[in-house]
Amino acid sequence: MPISLSTHSRQALVMIRTNLSSLPRRVAISASMCLSVALVVCVLAGFLSMAKGFETALTGAGSPLIAVVLGGGTSQETGSEIPASVIRTLDAMTGDLGVARDTDGKLVLSRELVVPIDLSQTADGAASMLALRGMDATGPLIRDGISLSVGRAFTPGTREIVVGGRLAGEFGLDVGKVVRLGAVDWTVTGYFSAHGSAFESELWADLDAVRAAFDRQGEVQSLKLRLTNPFSINLLQEKLAAIPETPLIALSEADLYAAQSGRTAGLIRLFGWPIALLMAVGATAGALNTMMSSVSDRTVEIATVRALGFSRFSAFLGTWTEAIVLAGTGVMLGLLASWLIFNGWQASTIGANNARMAFQLAVTPDVLTISGLLGLAIGIFGGAVPALAATRLALTAALRARG
Amino acid sequence: MTENIVPYIALAGVRKAYRIGGEMIPIFSGLDLAIPDGDFVAVMGPSGSGKSTLLNMLAGIDSLDAGTLRIGNSCLDQMGEAARAAWRAHNMGIVFQFYNLLPMLTAAENIELPLLLKPLSRKERYIRVEKVLDLVGLAGRERQYPALMSGGQQQRVGIARAIVSDPGLLLCDEPTGDLDRKSADEILDMLRFLNRELGKTIVMVTHDPQAALYACRTLHLDKGDFVEEKRAA
Repeated sequence: MPISLSTHSRQALVMIRTNLSSLPRRVAISASMCLSVALVVCVLAGFLSMAKGFETALTGAGSPLIAVVLGGGTSQETGSEIPASVIRTLDAMTGDLGVARDTDGKLVLSRELVVPIDLSQTADGAASMLALRGMDATGPLIRDGISLSVGRAFTPGTREIVVGGRLAGEFGLDVGKVVRLGAVDWTVTGYFSAHGSAFESELWADLDAVRAAFDRQGEVQSLKLRLTNPFSINLLQEKLAAIPETPLIALSEADLYAAQSGRTAGLIRLFGWPIALLMAVGATAGALNTMMSSVSDRTVEIATVRALGFSRFSAFLGTWTEAIVLAGTGVMLGLLASWLIFNGWQASTIGANNARMAFQLAVTPDVLTISGLLGLAIGIFGGAVPALAATRLALTAALRARG
Repeated sequence: MTENIVPYIALAGVRKAYRIGGEMIPIFSGLDLAIPDGDFVAVMGPSGSGKSTLLNMLAGIDSLDAGTLRIGNSCLDQMGEAARAAWRAHNMGIVFQFYNLLPMLTAAENIELPLLLKPLSRKERYIRVEKVLDLVGLAGRERQYPALMSGGQQQRVGIARAIVSDPGLLLCDEPTGDLDRKSADEILDMLRFLNRELGKTIVMVTHDPQAALYACRTLHLDKGDFVEEKRAA
């Protein structure tokens, strides 16, 4: 029935056009609907971009080719302890452990220890707890995607630190500056970049220097080893099971950080969604009010065209489309504002090891899509009831009312 | 109120009541009416006499509680609302007291509205719109918006919209009620022309005795029944 479809389409188009053309008569209330939708979109996009940025920072830190060995039965660096005897045993193991070896046949590994330190921020002087990671000289080399952006690496055996790119400006850690960490002074020798990952929220120094400065002699919390391939983590875990001194766990760095990011990002979303949904309910009520006002404003027009023979469906579509167009405008405004305000915004939270972790909010395409869909849903649901009301107008009003 | 010839519009035993505040208020209690094809009937009567209800029933906008309503070969009392709307689109034009033009559409676009319900091409619609604009004396004002027109001109657009799909029946609800005498006379002349020259059957509800003089006959409605009929000299 192409002709029938065509006449229906024409009716719908006329109704949509007349609805949209009459918007200037309802500027204030239409604008308020757009703004309330934009606000909902902004709030949800803010939370989601925060969760996304946090995830990006942590997942960017983890490589599937790096194994993290933890001791004492814990699956986090905090609380983990690896006795020196275990390291000697591991080092003495021959055969394939699934781990890369250097040209001398020695395991490519870095012993590491994280110490929490207090540092004052440049802007307001407020103290923040940061993670000072002591590591072997191989530490930066083992990791993927680490590069020195300014200066040079720390020299083994000295009290020198390299600073993650996110911290340098915020804490005034200029290259060459001497800062007091714990009971001793340290010299900043350079900044490193890690593609914005969680590593950039750390300070790195020589393991022995850190242990000496913080009275943690002989302590090692974790071992970082370079795997021969992502699947050899299972082989390494099997070999570790043969070491009886302490229960050892081998995780890929990617899995370790994914688990951390999953918990916190989930928490951010857990707060964000209810707030956004509550606001969306309010905005839907606002949309309902706006569109009821539109129907009321256009009573005579709707009744007139229906008296001429236009279908109920065309009346429904005209009002519904208006609601969706207004919500769509709000969505575009909200998304634009979210992108301008949140994308790249520097935020921080308490990460692993109870230390401050900086990250950038990321307004990614999936954040935009999800937030936009929620905004559109406001128009779809908030506009449906008034659109139905438009189809149920008493047509006798058209013959009586002033057009 | 019957005619000897087969009527174009026939109401028989029509009953209609409205529920107001829990009480049923009868409007018609067995109304009969016959209007032959090509007639021009003015319906007069005091407020509350049932004029608007009669017009709404003839337009298929309001339903009957009982009785029959036939227009041409169609029994409106047996049709559902959607069928009556479709019937209205193809067989009837309505002229409103306050013109009821869509303010955001031009004169031509307002007139085109009923044609959108028909399987006509854009060119066919354009030709028809131009023709009726010329007929109502508004040639050249296609792109003018209603707000920029006088009341008389707006009502001409309203009439053009009512006749553009060439319906056999025109229902006019106080078509001159919002116009000055001069404009009213022009509109009434036009309705008379449509009746006499184009053979349209016209039912016009009016309070204005001078307007009723343009009709072939005038029916007086009071308390839901026709109490008097006057034929034009």
